[in-house]
Amino acid sequence: MTSLDRTGTNLINHWQRGVPVYRASVITPTFLFCGALVAIGCALAAVRLFSPLGPFSGMNDAYAWGIWKTFNVMTLTALGSGPLALGIAAWVFDRQKLHVVMRTALVSGFLLYATGLIALGFDVGRPWNFWNALLPWRWNAESAMLEICICMPIYVAIFLSFEILPLFLERLYYTGSDATRVSLRKVAPLLRRIYPFMIIGAYVIPLMHQSSLGGLLLLAGDKIHPLWQTPFLPLLYLLAAGLCGIGFVTFLLLIACLRYSRALDIGVLDELGKLLCAACFFFLAVRAGDLIWRGQVHAAFALDRMSLIFLVETGLILVPGVALLFKVVRVTPRSLLKVATLACLGGMYYRFVPTTVAFHPERQRGYFPTPPELLMAAGYIALAFLGFGLAVKFFAVLPGDTHGWNNKFRSLRLPRWANRHEGNPLPGAEGETA
Amino acid sequence: MSGGISRRQALLGILGFGGTVAGTLAPAAAAEEHPAHPVAPPDAVSMLYDSTICTGCKACMVACSEANGLPPDTSLSGGLWQMPEGLNAKTKNIIELYKEPNGPEFAYVKRQCMHCLDPACVTGCPFGALKKNQWGAVTWESSLCIGCRYCEVACPFEVPKFEWDKWNPKIVKCEFCFDQRLLEHMEPACTAVCPTGSVIFGKRTDLLAKAKERIAASPDKYFEKRVYGEHEAGGTQVLYLSSVAFEKIGLPKLGSTSLGHYGTKVTSVIYKWLSGPIIVAGILGAVIKRNWNRHEAERPEREKKSGFPDQL
Ligand code: SF4
Ligand code: SF4
Repeated sequence: MTSLDRTGTNLINHWQRGVPVYRASVITPTFLFCGALVAIGCALAAVRLFSPLGPFSGMNDAYAWGIWKTFNVMTLTALGSGPLALGIAAWVFDRQKLHVVMRTALVSGFLLYATGLIALGFDVGRPWNFWNALLPWRWNAESAMLEICICMPIYVAIFLSFEILPLFLERLYYTGSDATRVSLRKVAPLLRRIYPFMIIGAYVIPLMHQSSLGGLLLLAGDKIHPLWQTPFLPLLYLLAAGLCGIGFVTFLLLIACLRYSRALDIGVLDELGKLLCAACFFFLAVRAGDLIWRGQVHAAFALDRMSLIFLVETGLILVPGVALLFKVVRVTPRSLLKVATLACLGGMYYRFVPTTVAFHPERQRGYFPTPPELLMAAGYIALAFLGFGLAVKFFAVLPGDTHGWNNKFRSLRLPRWANRHEGNPLPGAEGETA
Repeated sequence: MSGGISRRQALLGILGFGGTVAGTLAPAAAAEEHPAHPVAPPDAVSMLYDSTICTGCKACMVACSEANGLPPDTSLSGGLWQMPEGLNAKTKNIIELYKEPNGPEFAYVKRQCMHCLDPACVTGCPFGALKKNQWGAVTWESSLCIGCRYCEVACPFEVPKFEWDKWNPKIVKCEFCFDQRLLEHMEPACTAVCPTGSVIFGKRTDLLAKAKERIAASPDKYFEKRVYGEHEAGGTQVLYLSSVAFEKIGLPKLGSTSLGHYGTKVTSVIYKWLSGPIIVAGILGAVIKRNWNRHEAERPEREKKSGFPDQL
């Protein structure tokens, strides 16, 4: 928080474009720690290739879905919904200030989704039958599970990948040869021509599968506690994804800028805070309306175990919602970080509870993840974390000042201390790049 | 029988793969895909289990294991005799005993797949591995199952089981002895072997009438004077009579609306011919295009101000 704009009125526009982090070593203790977790995860994944799900995981016939599905997929892809929520805010509702944080949203979203999909791949028992996805006449079109099986991979492989393509092309443009530049100049207009069409898909597809994640739980019927089982599950899951997406990008920006001593842009943070506030209240309004409509208000305040779980959830979303109404909270990075964290936790909590603590099969049998299961789940998260750490150093992801930008990228061959690039900025390249 | 399945069958029929299923198409063709209260087709087969007659001899369990080639589950008896804890990956059919904690009341109950009229497991199964087959038997096809275990989460009776200890796991559940016996024009192994007639096989209409006759003949004998499965979860093809409360013997209290109806009533409208997503894409597209064009028009100015090319 070096050049923090304390009043929030003096419009210092610190976030103008994505700028790579130059002054930070790649190999850090965190990097090594995450690397170790990823290595353990990979080793266990290799074991899982040959091991049945049985004793390897704690799942059983009553709790057939373990944390790989309920946390890595159900919960973490909500955090990865920043590209959806902020993309819609930026491109549909024309919140232009948000364009500059889209890259942070896209990279984190891509990583969380991709690791979620890997988790899903190791979770299903008969993955070799996935090839049926290629034969549309075998699709059971009314199954929410089908929608997720088809939509999520397409979203990651086509739409999110397309949206992060400019990061790679940009790097190539500035680090490549003249010939590369010439051809990239030809590619750029093409990319810009299809971009608006691709982002339509990039919003419609996750609107579908994020709501389908909630739709999945409808069929579980009475097994899910009435405070959570509602026909509004798909909508609520979608709204929680928006809430988590906005909250997590805010959280990530603040943490990363703090970590890499970047100046913050109060204007953009204020905007994110406002959006997050709206997302909190929108979610709470639908949640409350639904409980009233189904006549479950008494269950919410019964003060038994499930009611307390519900009240904690509501508190985790209500507190940030109310706090964000005040400008002073939105423009004070420290408090914004706190409320964004709370909002993320609240949203995640909502996405996690219906499949776990509020899931009560008739034949109760406990479920607790086994150590390999937990370590693999941690491995997926570490992989995403690692990926983000590398992305901000090698690509222009994190927003920063234009004068911090010098058309240089860290060399791939020397992934160590790239401080020597901190010289005078080169004259701006006039050519267009994506 | 749901319309979704019929669509599949229609498609298969057109492609020339499924001759035998064509007969089931006609009644469901124009009907709602998942009516709240589905009506059993006239050829639906059924099982009627009368807990008041059952002596707990477990002949049906042995017959089931034999007909389905299942290994006996001997884990509870120390490897001596078949003694499963409940329905599991080795047990498609079980006789359980309910005994009142401090009283004389007791009852046997037979558990297996209920062959729901509108099964939640079939509605949820992504590639149709579980399907409502001929005569309403709910069957599982290994080559279509990805092992997502959604069927276990969805089934209100907690019937489908997963082979957790197998590298190539199967979903194990009663399939009405479809391949083994129904297709050979034999009744299921359990009903065929039952020495007391407490579980019998027949058409659902006939057995429902028979069950109601039994209630009418001795009304005080039967709990709530009703047939379990007539309406539960939209109705099931396995029917129960009991003198002990159904919930006590492990038959869950369920509403009469089919879960398939509950789970798809909104989405089936939104996703009909993909109209919802297409409309949303149209609206988003129009607005995005407008904002995009403006963003692009302002680009040269932005680039001049910052001195750097614009980023996407
Ligand atoms: S009882 Fe369960 S497994 Fe059997 S048909 Fe109904 S939903 Fe499917
Ligand atoms: S586990 Fe298999 S049978 Fe069950 S829902 Fe998934 S794909 Fe269908």
